[in-house]
Amino acid sequence: MKVELKIWRYDASTGERALRPYEVDVSEEATLLDTLDVVKDRLDGTLAYRKSCRMMICGSCGMRVDGGAVLACKTRIADIAADGHVPVVSAMGNLPIVKDLVVDMDPFWQKMQAIQPYLEPRLDRATEGENIVSREGMDAIHKESLCINCGCCVSECNSMESDPDFLGPAALAKGFRFVGDERDGATVERLERYSEEHGIWDCTRCYFCNERCPKGVDPRDAIAKLGAEAMKTGIDRDMGAKHAKWFVTSAKTTGWLRETELVPKTQGVVKAIKEIKFAMALLPKGKVPPPFPPHVAADVGESRALFDLVKTQGRDGAAGIIQGEKALGQLEHPGDAVDGPSHPYDDPRSFPKPYLPDDEEPAT
Amino acid sequence: MKQVAYYKGCLASLSAKELDTSTRALAPKIGYELLELDSVTCCGAGDIHEAEPDYYLHLNARILAYAAATGSDRLMTVCNVCTLNLRQANHQLLNDAALRERVNDNLERVGAPRYETDVDCVHFLWLVAGESFPALRDVAHKGLRGLKIAPFYGCQILRPSKLMGFEDPDKPDSLERIITACGGEPIDYPAKIKCCGFPIIQAREDTALGELIQPIEQAKEAGADAIVTPCPLCHLSLDAWQSKLKKQTGKDFQMPILHLSQLIGVAAGLSDSELRFKRHVVSMEPVLQKLAL
Repeated sequence: MKVELKIWRYDASTGERALRPYEVDVSEEATLLDTLDVVKDRLDGTLAYRKSCRMMICGSCGMRVDGGAVLACKTRIADIAADGHVPVVSAMGNLPIVKDLVVDMDPFWQKMQAIQPYLEPRLDRATEGENIVSREGMDAIHKESLCINCGCCVSECNSMESDPDFLGPAALAKGFRFVGDERDGATVERLERYSEEHGIWDCTRCYFCNERCPKGVDPRDAIAKLGAEAMKTGIDRDMGAKHAKWFVTSAKTTGWLRETELVPKTQGVVKAIKEIKFAMALLPKGKVPPPFPPHVAADVGESRALFDLVKTQGRDGAAGIIQGEKALGQLEHPGDAVDGPSHPYDDPRSFPKPYLPDDEEPAT
Repeated sequence: MKQVAYYKGCLASLSAKELDTSTRALAPKIGYELLELDSVTCCGAGDIHEAEPDYYLHLNARILAYAAATGSDRLMTVCNVCTLNLRQANHQLLNDAALRERVNDNLERVGAPRYETDVDCVHFLWLVAGESFPALRDVAHKGLRGLKIAPFYGCQILRPSKLMGFEDPDKPDSLERIITACGGEPIDYPAKIKCCGFPIIQAREDTALGELIQPIEQAKEAGADAIVTPCPLCHLSLDAWQSKLKKQTGKDFQMPILHLSQLIGVAAGLSDSELRFKRHVVSMEPVLQKLAL
């Protein structure tokens, strides 16, 4: 199969940048990584890119295709170069480029380091024998444990583009992997640290991370779980947390968001007063709806009673998000029944029966 | 006339009333009767999902239950954030019988209807760009006189695509098709699928403004007369926070921002009292002059 592609070449030592076209012959099954190998072997040995496992495990070959981050080894060239389209391949975003498709991962690792990516068991006594973790306990952090540190989620993170110090989706998802681990003893300290400036509440909810992650980690959901755990633990001093709390208060009092009071409730009265000039300009346009009389939804008593009721049912914090994950998982694995086996190895059908090479079909 | 339950959400009820009036006026012209929901509340935005996720699920189940009670099998939204929240909760409820049963029992205990008959939550944009698209050219009989319009999608109508699924999240074209059908010229620019910064505009203003400036600046450079968006939160930040961009960067963009229903509404000849452009912070005057209205 003939394939055309363009690659953004870059040399940080000279600052030279150029979009170069290439045309190669590859098999129908070739991945983007296979294609780059052919370009490098046959056309231009100076092309730089990272690779290692070739099977979506090592996380080395993150790069952009037409502006969106992918793993080159998970991407079929036939899919991205279909119908005469010439894909443009470039380095990932939000990380400094070293050469061509190779980025400097140091800022990524520094943020990973900042969240303390290791268990702090704080056992007060030596346990005898193994410290067994429950299935439910591991299921709660299963998604976050799938991360391979490829950086695809970071590449298009809109908050990080605006604030390069933002911890970002990969580090925060890793943070939940430890906050949610029942063996960890530093949960409160972690939530305090992750709730600081450039942490949980800097996420702008653009959902690019969920869209790009090649492993189904859904980092945005992990950040929401951290927020939920922080609020449950009473770590709610940040303006982002106060903003979220006001939505809850609104829903159970008037039903609809009390928009105008959101500003002082989020920023505090002193800071809100500084916004008065801004608010005055919006007032004649109806963009600052008067808080009184409040806009109350009909039957709002139901909404308040619902809040009181669910608070007694033990699904506070991240558990409230995790409870929906089996159903959401069906979006990617439509065949999985929610009430079916909770683990692939529980299902006897997961083991193919052995059959001889001469058999036309597996023995049933 | 197809009947759809109509969930207007918080902003269209208050600070973005112009979105509500223009949507209501436009709906019958494109073949929809909107069924009002009186007893519903805020969907929680991303905020209740993050602060009290179990409560978020119940609030949205309650909205879906009231939508089902209208007899329609569809719930129409006019806000990206409402769309994601409702679709996410709906997917959980439709695909997990035990979870739905627990939520329904709770709804019943507080006197709300149970969510029994399935409802699909769809954004107004999807109806216009989908099943009603063939009728659009006739509805938009007055045209837009080749006005250059920059489409701004916002985030939560595109991503996560496994929940939204209407179009390619990286190469959407529904707004472009609508702009063209209404007689305008769609302007292309990279930030059209990025974030407007609204969710963190109060808690992290600098970061949010760094996001907000991109679509406005790029649309301006590409020669757009106005930006159109299907989301009232995007509308609010793009429209009202331009003055903050001016203060921060010295750049005075004066870029008019249209709700989707207003863009089609202008082309369909809706009245001033339905379009309510006077409620915008950035003046619509230059656009109206080009249209000779």
